[in-house]
Amino acid sequence: MAQVLNALLGVFAWPKRVAPIDEGRLEYLDGKTAHILFAVGEAVLGENFLKEAPEFIYTVDGYMAFQRQANRDAFTQALLLAESPAFNLLNGGGLRGFSRMPIKDRQGVLTRLRASDRDLHRNLYAAFVNVSAATFYASPAAWARIKYDGVSLDHPEILNRPPPVPWRPNDTRPIEK
Amino acid sequence: MGGIVEGRNVSGRRSLTPDFCVIGSGASGGVCALKLSEAGFDVLVLEEGPNIPKEQGHGGPAHLRKMLNEREGDMYRTLYQEGGSRLTKDGGIKVMQGRCLGGGTTVNWAACLPPRVETLEHWQKNFGLPFTRENLRPYLKEVANYLPVVRNDKYNTSAQKFIDGCGRLGIETDNLPNNTHDCRECGSCGVGCPYDRKMSGIVRWLPDAIARGATVYTDTKVNRLVAGDGGRVKEVEAVFLDPKTRPTKKTLTVRPKLGVLLAAGAIGSPAVMLRSGITLDKRVGKFTHIHPVTICIGRYKDRTFPAYGVPDNMWSPKFESGPTGYLMETGSYFPVLTAASTLDHGESLHKMLDQFYPQGAIMYAHHTTGFDPDQPYGTTALDRYGDPELDYKLAPDNVKAMRESLRVMSEIHLEAGAESVFHMRNPPLVVKSKADFKEIDLIKFGETQRAAVFTVHVMGGLQMGNDARRSCVNTDFRVKGMENLWVVDASVFPTGLGANPQVTIYSLALWASREICEKYGKPFALQHMDGGDWPWPKY
Repeated sequence: MAQVLNALLGVFAWPKRVAPIDEGRLEYLDGKTAHILFAVGEAVLGENFLKEAPEFIYTVDGYMAFQRQANRDAFTQALLLAESPAFNLLNGGGLRGFSRMPIKDRQGVLTRLRASDRDLHRNLYAAFVNVSAATFYASPAAWARIKYDGVSLDHPEILNRPPPVPWRPNDTRPIEK
Repeated sequence: MGGIVEGRNVSGRRSLTPDFCVIGSGASGGVCALKLSEAGFDVLVLEEGPNIPKEQGHGGPAHLRKMLNEREGDMYRTLYQEGGSRLTKDGGIKVMQGRCLGGGTTVNWAACLPPRVETLEHWQKNFGLPFTRENLRPYLKEVANYLPVVRNDKYNTSAQKFIDGCGRLGIETDNLPNNTHDCRECGSCGVGCPYDRKMSGIVRWLPDAIARGATVYTDTKVNRLVAGDGGRVKEVEAVFLDPKTRPTKKTLTVRPKLGVLLAAGAIGSPAVMLRSGITLDKRVGKFTHIHPVTICIGRYKDRTFPAYGVPDNMWSPKFESGPTGYLMETGSYFPVLTAASTLDHGESLHKMLDQFYPQGAIMYAHHTTGFDPDQPYGTTALDRYGDPELDYKLAPDNVKAMRESLRVMSEIHLEAGAESVFHMRNPPLVVKSKADFKEIDLIKFGETQRAAVFTVHVMGGLQMGNDARRSCVNTDFRVKGMENLWVVDASVFPTGLGANPQVTIYSLALWASREICEKYGKPFALQHMDGGDWPWPKY
């Protein structure tokens, strides 16, 4: 059923292909869904987000291997649905595919989905922003934005921190030496 | 001497005939593997997740587990169920569960609390369970001495802000004992300690079990149990997974001589039963419980380095009592999980993270659930592909308590000097004074994606007890109507526990091991009872 629905949605999805995507590296996404994902990523993260997360598309694709099949189906459906002109017409995007809108309009669609009273719409919103934001901030190049110094593996100085604040002196519990 | 076999490297079909087959290598699986091996049984452990070999890592001499690189993106997908993105059926609650050697013990924050007396009494009175604090005390003591459980008082900034704010409000705080040892304070407990400074299953229970002859197969997913005559499981059918967790055509058939122990966690164990057609009149999977977690992040004047330090060693017992009580604790937090919970997009997303990450401190609350007999809580069922799916509804009383905990924690932040407090609402909510708290009361937790809600504790689904309409497991941990099938993990909890469950799971697994050893006339002994201090003097 899921495959049939995905195939049906795919018939109406003709995303704008502007990102440099090597489709040969994809396992779960295909050309169409990868380009829709790029449009989603751009709407969530802003223009030029690939500079800080150059592996964004391939990371999401690789991540899908670890999902259960039902969620893989659902995520693919979500991308194809977002590209459907009829869906966008109902959500303030006009009769256009998501990837064919300017970023501002795409963000407008996201804002409407976020505020929707329909669970499906809010789940679509959460899937798009959570996947995009998580993948972007998993990239070390993005960490400087939020002054995250990185892991101790790369920064052993993290392991040489000042002594701890003393605990209450009359506490008799075993304490680590 | 047993060993670890990585299923991903096995070729062809295999067939094994141990005494016992333990399904899952987490908190309960590790304990049972050790105690049954000690008793002289031939034990086989099957773990769906990957091995985490001990070898020299790439972080210098202290770095022991090369695979644990501390990077969230890599570690969530490798060490957690569904790559760290397991959600409840309606998409409303993020369920973080380990799926690796050591299970939850490998990825938890090392918090060690005993079970609430109130919860044990409720279980005894309403479900006929035998456990009391008194009769559990030897098992708790064994756990506390074996791990050991210690008071680690190296506090990170979040904990210090919590102490400050609670102090000003007269809210009692306490050190939260944990099972770290000579902690390096890298903050990476939640993605697996690369330094072996957390005394998890991969450091304690499993190596000791292997030294006594247990064999562990990783990357090995149990598809189903095959029942024979007389309520006996005669076969366990498993499949080896590839490095991306996909099933291969290579299979493992286990024909246990004595029995099977389900230790796959409170979603995994019911799922194995359901895939096996053991539904116990549709009771399997029912009454699954979680501790829903509310989180808020305060923004402070100076940088706080929120990722580092011991994540979870300060708490407040002030609001823990009652059927909808909550434990306030502190933690560490990292870019990926924070970004994935902000529920925002565009410039506003980056701005929120820029404001609340570098100068942030985190407080969160685990909420007790499951005490209202009229609420459905959670049900684990199988999706169309045979994978488990938790359908969970927050009870109205819990929603009320979740708003309350956010108000209390916001006040603690403000008293500790926070300029503002961020709530993971949709859209994000920032409060700057008590006058803003009314917004917290409007958060619709019961509706999916109106706010980010997490859980890291899943319990129930194969309830223990004497209520024929609800329970699946007898008080000797045996599945009702089955002769040689035991459930030894948190699936047997009739309600939420109301405390971080690691120590309780260990203790009940020790109890279950004793029951099994006694049934087969084998010795069982608690071996770490001498000396040591009771790490929970008030409890």
